[in-house]
Amino acid sequence: MKQTDSLVIKICGSAGDGAISAVEILNRACALMGFHIMNFDSYPAEIRGFGKSVGHTRISRTPLLTPGRYADCLVALNDMHAITELKRIKPDAALVYDSRPPDYIEEDCAVAGFIEPGMSGYGVPLRELSAQAVKSARSRNIVALGAIAAMYNLDPEAFIEAINIRFARKSAVVREINSAALKMGYEYIRNHRERPVHKTLLAVKRHDRPIRIVNGNEAAAIGALDAGLTLYAGYPITPATKIMEYLAKKLPPKNGTVVQTEDEIAAIGHVVGAGYTGKRAMTATSGPGLCLMTEMLNLAVQAEIACVVINSMRGGPSTGLPTKTEQADLNLALYGGSGDSPRVVLAPANVPECYIMTRRAFEIAEAFQTPVILLLDFFLSNRFEDVDETVLETFEPGMFKRLTAEPVSGKPFERFRVTDNGVSPAAFPGMPGLKHAITGLEHTPRGFPNYEGDNHRAMTEKRRRKFIELQNAWPHPDVTGPKGQLSIGVLSWGSSIGAVREALASPELKGLSIGGCFPRLLQPLQTEPLKLFANRCDRLVVVELNSSGQLAGLIEQTTHKKAMRLADVPAEPPAVEQIVRYLTGVLK
Amino acid sequence: MNTPKDKPHNTEPVLNKRVASGLSHVNSDGLLNYRSHALPTWCPGCGYYGITHGLTQAMNTLNIPNENLVVVSGIGCAGRMPFFVNGYGFHSIHGRALPIASGVKMASPELTVLCVGGDGDGFGIGGGHIAHVIRRNVDLTYIVFDNSIYGLTKGQASPTTPKGQVTSTSPFGTAEDPINPALISLAYNVSFLATGYAGDPDILNTIFQKALAHRGFSMIIVTTPCITFDHVNVTWNDFRDRFEPIPSGHNTGDIAAAMQLAISGKNYNGVLYQDDRPDWETRQKAIRKKSSG
Repeated sequence: MKQTDSLVIKICGSAGDGAISAVEILNRACALMGFHIMNFDSYPAEIRGFGKSVGHTRISRTPLLTPGRYADCLVALNDMHAITELKRIKPDAALVYDSRPPDYIEEDCAVAGFIEPGMSGYGVPLRELSAQAVKSARSRNIVALGAIAAMYNLDPEAFIEAINIRFARKSAVVREINSAALKMGYEYIRNHRERPVHKTLLAVKRHDRPIRIVNGNEAAAIGALDAGLTLYAGYPITPATKIMEYLAKKLPPKNGTVVQTEDEIAAIGHVVGAGYTGKRAMTATSGPGLCLMTEMLNLAVQAEIACVVINSMRGGPSTGLPTKTEQADLNLALYGGSGDSPRVVLAPANVPECYIMTRRAFEIAEAFQTPVILLLDFFLSNRFEDVDETVLETFEPGMFKRLTAEPVSGKPFERFRVTDNGVSPAAFPGMPGLKHAITGLEHTPRGFPNYEGDNHRAMTEKRRRKFIELQNAWPHPDVTGPKGQLSIGVLSWGSSIGAVREALASPELKGLSIGGCFPRLLQPLQTEPLKLFANRCDRLVVVELNSSGQLAGLIEQTTHKKAMRLADVPAEPPAVEQIVRYLTGVLK
Repeated sequence: MNTPKDKPHNTEPVLNKRVASGLSHVNSDGLLNYRSHALPTWCPGCGYYGITHGLTQAMNTLNIPNENLVVVSGIGCAGRMPFFVNGYGFHSIHGRALPIASGVKMASPELTVLCVGGDGDGFGIGGGHIAHVIRRNVDLTYIVFDNSIYGLTKGQASPTTPKGQVTSTSPFGTAEDPINPALISLAYNVSFLATGYAGDPDILNTIFQKALAHRGFSMIIVTTPCITFDHVNVTWNDFRDRFEPIPSGHNTGDIAAAMQLAISGKNYNGVLYQDDRPDWETRQKAIRKKSSG
């Protein structure tokens, strides 16, 4: 019996088989036992039909950086789909399959026929046991969970607790029969196998800290709620829609408004309008939507209006790969729009950071009177992590504060006064004595249109100057690895940071002269700490999910140093194994 | 550091002594309460002055607190309006005044929000937003300055330019039929619709007062000449012949009757349609109540 630090479990079925909800229960049960989890499912863009759904989760004693790629255990709720997942399992993986499948499964379509030496087959009569418990095959996913509990020595009581939470709104009967289904799977493995346990996880202590299992979208939405959001305007688009769905439920009880607009232009228009009156407003979208928003973002830059935009990236260009992850909207976020149009771009690396940075984004937007774009991606938006609620509760607001104007009698109000730090005191409709007009035209300090070079230069500089303060105040990029000169310095951003950190900590690379540097603030880029890092690296490698190396280009521009690109578009999160292989190759 | 000064030019506040004294009697009537110190950039003789006069009168009568007044506009000659109004103003981007104005009103319902723009801004680039602001019935007053031309870019055809009219982008006459904005708005089920023309500020005054008092989305389409770029279609000369009062006996609560007026081929000066239905804020209050119940 092997002991392991972490365990990757895949539950594979046809859409509607309950693979995803089984993983939900598994996550909850493991979190109750005190484990950390990271869950990233994949499902087709189509709603029903016969599409493959794969629930994928990783369980560990220590905090997780990635959901892992290769499974320790594959559960086949649908044999045909499970066969296609066999390339993503470990050589010693366990396979849970229906040992008494319905007659119509042809022999070469049965997943059990693909068990290789080294693997362990766990045949369980999933349908039959489910039928005994709930009078239909519907709960065979729960039977399979029972089998998993037995195979990995996990406490079945935690699973039953998780079932009760999952079905809290259903009747007591539903909870009871599903608990029965779970026990049947558990007992079946215990009674029918000589050595029921496949692997054991290093034990953890159960703790009482309140844990929320949330994904990046939900964390960002909660962040916006806690920041005091007044208005959310959005247009449905994968993978950002869940943010609107969450807020549609949670914002109205807090006296806020959610409006589903006719398009993304109207969405950002509503946000800019609300921001103009001094209220906190946000929209969330994906690449195609951000394309439509660029003109309005330019207006917010020119008229110096606070607004927050979450862009959850998916494969592109155009409609691209709506349900696949990618990090290829960086250039659009940084530069999309006409003229010199500086804005703030932040990229959280994990789920708790989605919460923290969304809250911070509102402060930055208000303090510097600017649009702030948060770059999430399909992976980060949809991956669930266990988040200690104290992380959410201990957030300290007020890192950046808005400067509001006071009326001075006899003096006309200068909404766009040119100041040393570029920030002009703001005023909002309803404030007496501070009436003014703002415009997307270049304007004088009082806000009147003006097309003269001197004024335009002064205003353009002022709009750029605002960000120097942010550059200095924002925490420097995380730097990991040995001190002193490094053979390789690896940079990455957003959701790819986790895979790079896991690669650097792998047995193959541990102890070598490799370091990492992981910025979250991508515009304005913190030039000095990046240069400092680059200067002590023989070679720079930038890992990101786009084909041109969008961050790599930015890093080269900033550090004047050539950057090697591990820039790939695999339509899935970066593989730790690929990063390890690449870096090993660079060292040779 | 080079700090720019506000220099006098185009829309800067230049009130020379002659103009100031000429305006003093107007001021005593309170008609300058809602005018900023910036002088309009419109051509002398432009119909927009008439519309502005009607609007100023209406706001003066309703005594709207200046600091609670927000004028949102898009791009075009009419788009410059926010600079000329004594209140808060937002001169935004082409075609997007309605979504921005909606955001203003939704986030800060205590404000009086006016939205202004031309026919190109409203029915061309921004035409897609009208249906949806009507569906939401956001409490805005939207005034369209319809001169059937793109004036600020010097005379190109617009969505309301009559078919066959020669403009700088249609040297052999336009190929398109013009739209009927009143009919379209009614078909979208607008809760307040009025039409009028720039040559009669007094009637505009009464229309604007009704529109501002209407709780919900009110739309006023004001026909106005572009005396600089359109010498064919709408000129001051043919205004009085073209516009007539709303027929007596017209029921403003009857949308089919309003549509009949809209397709009659005639031009009316007054309120075509008005009904009473919950505005956006009222609907939100109901949703908030439901959500916390």
